[in-house]
Amino acid sequence: MGFLKVEDLKVHFPIKGGLFGRTLGHVKAVDGVSFSLDKGKTYGLVGESGSGKSTTGRAIIGLNHITDGKIFFEDNEITATARKAKSDIRKDIQMIFQDPYSSLNPKKRVLDIVAEPLRNFESLSRKEERIRVQELLELVGLSPESILKYPHEFSGGQRQRIGIARAVALKPKLIIADEPVSALDVSVQAQVLNFMKEIQGELDLTYLFISHDLGVIKHMCDHIGIMYKGRFVEEGTAKEIFNDPQHIYTKRLVAAIPDIDPRKREEMKQFRQEVNTEYEQAYNDYFNEEGLAYSLKPISDTHLVALPEKG
Amino acid sequence: MWKFSVRRIMIMIPQLFVLSVLIFVLAKMMPGDALSGQIDPNIDPARIEEIRQEMGWYDPWHEQYARWIGGVIQWDFGQSFRFKMPVTELMGQRIENSFWLSLVTLIFTYLIAIPLGITSGRYNDTLRDSLITGYSYLGFATPIFIFALVMLWVFGFQLGWFPTSGSVTPGLVPGTFDYFVSKVYHLILPALSMALITTYSTIQYLRNEIIDTKQKDFILLARAKGASESRVYNRHIFRNSLLPIAAFFGFEITTLIGGSIFIENIFGYPGMGQLLIESISLRDYSVVTATTLLFGMAAVLGALLSDIILSIVDPRIRIK
Amino acid sequence: MAANSASVENVDVKKKEIKSPSGLSVIGRELIKDKIALISLIFLILVVAFVYGISFVLDQEEIVKVDLFSIYEPPGEEFILGTDYGGRDVFGQLIIGTRNSLSIAFLVTIMTGLIGVVYGLLSGYFGGHVDNIMMRILDFFLILPFTMIVIAFVAIVPKYSIWTFSLIMTAFLWMGIARLIRSKALQEKELDYIHAAKTLGTSNLKIVFKHILPNVSSLIIVTMTLNLASNIGLESGLSFLGFGFPESTPSLGTLLSYARNPQTLEFRWWIWVPASLMILFLMLAVNNVGVALRRASDARQRRG
Repeated sequence: MGFLKVEDLKVHFPIKGGLFGRTLGHVKAVDGVSFSLDKGKTYGLVGESGSGKSTTGRAIIGLNHITDGKIFFEDNEITATARKAKSDIRKDIQMIFQDPYSSLNPKKRVLDIVAEPLRNFESLSRKEERIRVQELLELVGLSPESILKYPHEFSGGQRQRIGIARAVALKPKLIIADEPVSALDVSVQAQVLNFMKEIQGELDLTYLFISHDLGVIKHMCDHIGIMYKGRFVEEGTAKEIFNDPQHIYTKRLVAAIPDIDPRKREEMKQFRQEVNTEYEQAYNDYFNEEGLAYSLKPISDTHLVALPEKG
Repeated sequence: MWKFSVRRIMIMIPQLFVLSVLIFVLAKMMPGDALSGQIDPNIDPARIEEIRQEMGWYDPWHEQYARWIGGVIQWDFGQSFRFKMPVTELMGQRIENSFWLSLVTLIFTYLIAIPLGITSGRYNDTLRDSLITGYSYLGFATPIFIFALVMLWVFGFQLGWFPTSGSVTPGLVPGTFDYFVSKVYHLILPALSMALITTYSTIQYLRNEIIDTKQKDFILLARAKGASESRVYNRHIFRNSLLPIAAFFGFEITTLIGGSIFIENIFGYPGMGQLLIESISLRDYSVVTATTLLFGMAAVLGALLSDIILSIVDPRIRIK
Repeated sequence: MAANSASVENVDVKKKEIKSPSGLSVIGRELIKDKIALISLIFLILVVAFVYGISFVLDQEEIVKVDLFSIYEPPGEEFILGTDYGGRDVFGQLIIGTRNSLSIAFLVTIMTGLIGVVYGLLSGYFGGHVDNIMMRILDFFLILPFTMIVIAFVAIVPKYSIWTFSLIMTAFLWMGIARLIRSKALQEKELDYIHAAKTLGTSNLKIVFKHILPNVSSLIIVTMTLNLASNIGLESGLSFLGFGFPESTPSLGTLLSYARNPQTLEFRWWIWVPASLMILFLMLAVNNVGVALRRASDARQRRG
């Protein structure tokens, strides 16, 4: 049934040291993560920096090696194929990067940047290629005349649109968006987010949306997974996570979302303090000796929480 | 630190091994051997063949190598065919000469470079600084052999202030005071010629280091606490910048070796550099291998020394 | 708040400007600002044009032919710069020598550049074990005392030409640029545009040569210019010691090597002084241009 299914994904990085550069231990960036995405929906991965959310996304698309676990895409296992340069998976899964400055090669023209995936997978004539690139630029709201410009002539928001044009060039089914707006100006963020929602319908895209910003996630996502130290602490629909958080860590995150209504300010402050106290008191119940979350347990069909193990 | 040193030494061992093989193979590949053209033409060619057999010329190369390296470990480099004496003996005096030349060159280099580097860094972007930077840049761009020739021409020949060849005036008895003075006198011009144009890296390093340190918080603090300018420089900045200079000493050895080949040949100074050129033109291959190997080993050991000192001075290097 | 982050973005744009592709105009601006570098460049162009131009007219055979009736002639009407011990015209040898020295230096610079860049890019990009092994090999080459090893090799090769000589020099000179390019490639490959290229299905080799290479090009140009200067010096040094070209193919170092004879050094300055000055000026000029280029490629040092 699943569109993208991740089973018990582990990404460990070795720590080298000692006389011969032996492996002394591992950093467990992602330590046993499972989730699945539905077609046409947006799945949000949330967590603080270092929680392993970006590593998860990069592992799926093949930028990080996978220590253990399996990934299925449309019922085919792609754990190994995603690592090859020329596989069909490349066409189906694409990525949008965080930093609009470093994600575009400064020495290339927009035409070459957006055409790069086309040149790798489709043999178009120069003219066809030009037309396709112009169409793509129009789609992302940039003037088709800008194909001969270089990236430094654009603003951050425009650059991110170029990055999106490049990602959708091959008509992918899944897009992994790794903090796509966190490097942008707040005023531009909303523009880019709304635009991403627009093309989602138009191109029938599925998003894996990675962010540390719960506000952005709330705006974008249907399903949400909360990560902490390489593990899931809670997973569920947006409604369940925001209205009925079960794990103490999620509760604190949700409580921290700023509220624009000034009349509720005192109330919110009070509430946050309560949650904080609860967090500190219950920390040892919700996390094991190493400070890691327990495994997920279902509390409804869609809602899973890493509740403490009894006994 | 120990871990780093041990690891660094273990990298060095294969380096030394490959170096020795390379040198041995090179020497073997040199056209002709020590016997060709050397022995009286009246001697029966069959006899020459016999000598070659005796010397093991036709043994497999790894056996020859093993024999050679076995000797080297016991400080025995075989016989020089041209000079008819053991290579070790031949090199003895010359190693000593080269050592003194290098030492005096190093002393001159630091005597020139350190004060200039400090001045340049302390008064950066002033006339003094640009003069010093200009000088060191000229030294960087000038090849050593041109500078040495000019020095020899001006101070040796035109002005006649210094001797133009040799390491000591002939006829003096070793051990006497005159002998010592003569030796020093012969050393000054070659050492100065090399030192004056190898100051670039030290001056530039010190300059940049001091300019960097100048703006660090602990210096600002020392000033704020009312320490005098000279105290700030002598006690704080200088100390911080000088240790790495000491560490680069090991790398200087490679520079010295390259330079000494030119300097010794130009000033007719009987050291290892001169011996190397001589023995290559004479096809005296046991001497060639010995000198090349010693130079190579000196360079490897110098790099090792610098790395270890640096790892003490700057712990960040150890991680690598 | 909004104004604030906008200005941050501006600073960012400025910082990235070095990476803009319009490097040529920046270089031009820098050269015009830096008068010394400009003069150096003009000097170099003139020397190169003159030396390569005139050698079509000049007969090398004629110049290197021994003429016993005009040995050690001081500069005069017949020979502008006098003659050497074989009665050969020093001025003619100087021109041919400059041409030969420059040719070698160019050749060695280009070959070391090619090897160094490819080696450095591959080592830096692939990293891990590949990088480890490649760097061990490089370290070994790096500790070899260059002058001696080249001398030893030159002594082995029985008959050598411009090509064999430059090959031998190249074999022991590619490491510096390789190390520089490697560390730059290590930085560059962590940037997202490389990750993007991977996710877009671009092959590793294409990434190395089409993405990383253009982004290290200014470093390559600067390093190769500075290398050119030092290669002129290295070649003339080796020829000076008698391990460069044979006398029949004069280089600047060959003329200098006559000064190893004390008589020539002391009394016949016209043989070795012009060649020394030529080497010195060439090296200074190339270095000046190289330093100006380095400034142009680094926004913090730029003057213009």
